[in-house]
Amino acid sequence: MTETTTTIDVCPAGELPAGASRIVEAGERKIGVFNCDGALHAIEDRCSHDDGPLAEGPFDPSTCTVECPRHGSLFDLRTGRPRTLPAYLPVETFPVHVVDGTIKLEVP
Amino acid sequence: MATPEIAIAAPDQLEGIKDSYEYGFHDSETDYAFKAKKGLSRQVVEDISSHKDEPQWMRDFRLKALEHFEARPMPKWAGGHMDGIDFQNIHYFVRASEKQGRTWDEVPDDIKNTFDKLGIPEAERKFLAGVGAQYESEVVYHQIREDLEKQGVIFKDMDTGLREHEDLVREYFSTVIPANDNKLAALNSAVWSGGSFVYVPPGVHVEMPLQAYFRINTENMGQFERTLIIADEGSFVHYIEGCTAPTYTTDSLHSAVVEIICKPGSRVRYTTIQNWSHNVYNLVTKRAVAYEGATMEWIDGNLGSKLTMKYPSIYLMGERAHGEILSIAFAGKGQHQDAGGKCVHIAPNTTSTITSKSISKDGGRASYRGLLEVAPGATGSKSKVVCDALLLDEESRSDTYPTIRIGEDDVDVGHEATVSKIGEEQLFYLMSRGLSEEEASGMIVGGFIEPFTRELPMEYAVEMNRLIELQMEGSIG
Repeated sequence: MTETTTTIDVCPAGELPAGASRIVEAGERKIGVFNCDGALHAIEDRCSHDDGPLAEGPFDPSTCTVECPRHGSLFDLRTGRPRTLPAYLPVETFPVHVVDGTIKLEVP
Repeated sequence: MATPEIAIAAPDQLEGIKDSYEYGFHDSETDYAFKAKKGLSRQVVEDISSHKDEPQWMRDFRLKALEHFEARPMPKWAGGHMDGIDFQNIHYFVRASEKQGRTWDEVPDDIKNTFDKLGIPEAERKFLAGVGAQYESEVVYHQIREDLEKQGVIFKDMDTGLREHEDLVREYFSTVIPANDNKLAALNSAVWSGGSFVYVPPGVHVEMPLQAYFRINTENMGQFERTLIIADEGSFVHYIEGCTAPTYTTDSLHSAVVEIICKPGSRVRYTTIQNWSHNVYNLVTKRAVAYEGATMEWIDGNLGSKLTMKYPSIYLMGERAHGEILSIAFAGKGQHQDAGGKCVHIAPNTTSTITSKSISKDGGRASYRGLLEVAPGATGSKSKVVCDALLLDEESRSDTYPTIRIGEDDVDVGHEATVSKIGEEQLFYLMSRGLSEEEASGMIVGGFIEPFTRELPMEYAVEMNRLIELQMEGSIG
C-alpha cells in the first residue's frame, strides 16, 4: 500500500528568511514551518505533553529548537523529539523543500 | 538532624499558631552583607545576577523566566490556596555573609550558633559525608570529605557549581524542569540562589549521606534554592535535606526547584524532612529522570509549613528503570499538606511504587495528589500506588486526588486507598499495658508512619519520631 501525500504551498522562499517561522493549515491540523539558518523544517503544531499549541513558541534558529509556550519543553525541529521534559514523546515531522522558488510541504 | 539544645521563641509571635515548634527563634540581621528591598522586578533579578557575577546566559535565562512568571496565572487546580501570597511583600535576595566558610569557625558567630542549636556541625562529625548549610539566600558553609573529592565527587553550593563547573551545569540545568514548567518553577528560575550541585562519577558509591540544611531567618523572606544532582553510570548517592524557619506572624515563601539525572545503572535517594515554621508557604518542584536500569527514590517527609504543595516526580526513561516515592504528611492546626508524587513510565519493563501516608489532627488538612502514567510502548510496566490517611479527630480532613493514565495494554497497575481513625480497641489494648492515652496514640501514629522512618538513617529516624511526638503533644483531651 502506498501512502498518498498532499503537497501544500507554504509561501515564496523569500518570505521565510533564516530565523523566520510560520504556521500553515493542512486540512484539520496546523503545521509549523521553520527556517533554521537556511535549513527548512516542519513539525506539527501540537505539544505531545498536553496537546496544546507548539509552533508559536519561542524559536531558536541557532539550536534549531522551538519551546512549548505552555510548559517549556524544548523540541528539536530536525527530529521532532523533545530535548527537555515535561514532554517525552516526539511530535510528527514533515518533508519540506523549495521548488521553483516556492516552499512546499508534504503532508500524508 | 540532631536534637537542638536551646529553643527560643517570642511568645507573642507564637500566639495562635503552634506551641510545639521548637525552631521558631530568629537571629539579629544587623551584620548582614546585603538585603534586597521587598518586591520582584527586572531590576531585582538583574541585581541578583550581578551580585553573583554570573555568565550572560544565566542572566538571560533568569530574565526570560521572569517573563514566564509574570505571564502565567496562578494555577487554577490549586483551588485558591496560594492566593494569600503577596509576591511584592517578599525579600528575594538576602546575603547574610560575604564569604562561605570551609570550617565552622569561619562562619559568622550568630549563624554558627543557629546551626549549633540545630545540631548540624555535630551531625557532620558523626555520620555525614558532606554538609551544605544555607542561611537566607546563600550557602554559608560547605564541606565534603576529602576522600570523596579525590574520587571526583562534586558537592558544591549551586552558585559555586555554576562558577567552577559551568559546562556541566549548562548541559543539564533546566533540562528536567524548564523555566516555564509552572508558575513557581518560573519564579525560582528567575530568582534562584543557593541549593546544591552534586555530581557523582561513574561507579562511585557515596556510602554516607550528603546533607543540605536550609534555614530562613528574615521575616517575609523568600528562599529559592536550586539543586541539580547528576549521578553518572553505576553510581550511588543519598542526599538529605532539612529545613526550619523562625515563627513570625506574617508569611514567608520557600519555592525550590530540584532536578535529578540518574544515568544508566545509578541509584539516587533523596530524603527530605521538611519542618518549616507554620508561617511558610512551601511550594516546591522536584523531578527526576531515570535511565536504563537506574533507580530513583524520593523519601519525602512533610511536617511543617502553612501550606505545602509538592509532588516529587520520576520519569522512567530507560528500560528496567525503577522509581520509588514514599511520602508522609502531618497536618496539624492551620496546616494544609498537599503532597504526593508522580511516576511516568516511558520505557518497557519499568517499575514504580508510590506510598503516601498522611495524618491530620486539630483541623489540619492532608491531601494526596498523584499521577501514574504509562506511555504507549512501555510494555511490561508495573506500578503500585498506596494512599493511607489517618484522621485523629472529627475536625480534620483528608482528600485524595489520584490520576492514572494508561496508554498500554500489557501493564500491571494497582491503586489502594484507605482512610482510618485510631481504633478504640487499639487504644484500649495499649492503655491496658500502662500507657497513657497520649502515649498510646503516639505509638499508633509512629507505627502508621513506620514505612517512612525505617527508610531513614538511624539518627534521622530518632529525630523524626521525636518530631512526631511533639506534633502529637496535647492531642488528647
